[in-house]
Amino acid sequence: MKDILKTGLILLVICVIAALGLGLTNEVTKGPIAEQRFLANEQAKKEVLPDAASYADITGEDLESIVSQFNPVTEAYMGLDASGNTIGYVFKSTPTGFGGNVEVVTGISNDGTVTGLRVGSHNETPGLGAKAKDADFYEQYAGKSALDQIGVSKTSSDGNDIQAITGATISSAAITNGANASIDAFNWIIENGGLEN
Amino acid sequence: MKISNLTKGIIKENPIFVQLLGMCPTLAVTTSAVNGIGMGLATTAVLISSNIAISLIRKVIPAQVRIPAFVVVISTFVTIVGMLMEAFVPELFKSLGLFIPLIVVNCIILARAEAFASKNGVVDSAFDGIGMGLGFTLALTILGSVRELFGNGSLFGAAIFGASYKPALIMILPPGGFLALGLLLALYNSYQFKRAK
Repeated sequence: MKDILKTGLILLVICVIAALGLGLTNEVTKGPIAEQRFLANEQAKKEVLPDAASYADITGEDLESIVSQFNPVTEAYMGLDASGNTIGYVFKSTPTGFGGNVEVVTGISNDGTVTGLRVGSHNETPGLGAKAKDADFYEQYAGKSALDQIGVSKTSSDGNDIQAITGATISSAAITNGANASIDAFNWIIENGGLEN
Repeated sequence: MKISNLTKGIIKENPIFVQLLGMCPTLAVTTSAVNGIGMGLATTAVLISSNIAISLIRKVIPAQVRIPAFVVVISTFVTIVGMLMEAFVPELFKSLGLFIPLIVVNCIILARAEAFASKNGVVDSAFDGIGMGLGFTLALTILGSVRELFGNGSLFGAAIFGASYKPALIMILPPGGFLALGLLLALYNSYQFKRAK
């Protein structure tokens, strides 16, 4: 009986010290981590819609109707020029790939051109679907027309098609699916007269 | 303090080729040489610190609850390392962050805590951690190189075989992990048998 109490107590002390250490570390790191994630997010927007000077979140009813109509789009932003006019939009979508959700950020300028696409966190197969993070793949999207859907081809990236990653057609199609949902959302916004900050 | 504690992990008691420990992360991440090195070094860091910590508190921990105590210590270490990395060295976290949660489930760390650090002094335990970590890194890098070379025609990201080489995709898929590991084990054993003669 005495033994059980003593053992339990020691285990308790170890757990308390571990919890204390974790709590302290969390206190110290939570600020910088949030800042890093924010910066990474800003960086992604900057990369897909480079002409904008700043970005404004699309919120409220506008976001709700975009998210409900254009699955898998989850977040949307306006790209603003120096004087605050909307020059394009950035959409974040999470289409389902081979190994779960893939985070896709797509930029589209007001003239109907896809200005860039980046792939964020994902669980695709290393060496195959994970190649979506290589510039060779995602740069194919820049310059495609947002007036039409983007297609996936196994052989070439002519017209509005992109060339799929060899051996990873599902991942390629998923990312294109995210881009196309963003294109649809963009066209819906334009048809409704665009959004201003 | 014995120097053999430092060197034994590299060849003679190599964690992968001899002890066959930590197979799950081993097979999962070794799709390229760079991944192998990254996982190896991250594991080494955790292995050294957990070995030191376990060795320091080995006299306090009652034998009946040593396993839960080890698990708490190890997972606390891994989580703290992960949080600190994300907050203060985001670049490193971007490339190694994927491996951090995998280290928690790496039985090599628990095995060394149980088999060595809980019975030996601090310096010897640190040596054991360094040696085992380097042996693990070496094995993962070799495995990753072999799989990347045949499965992708490249080594550390640099193309080796040229564009005409049709990569054997199976090598970077899960079955290739088993194939490569089995063949490497056979090679290692035949070398050891010859040496014994």
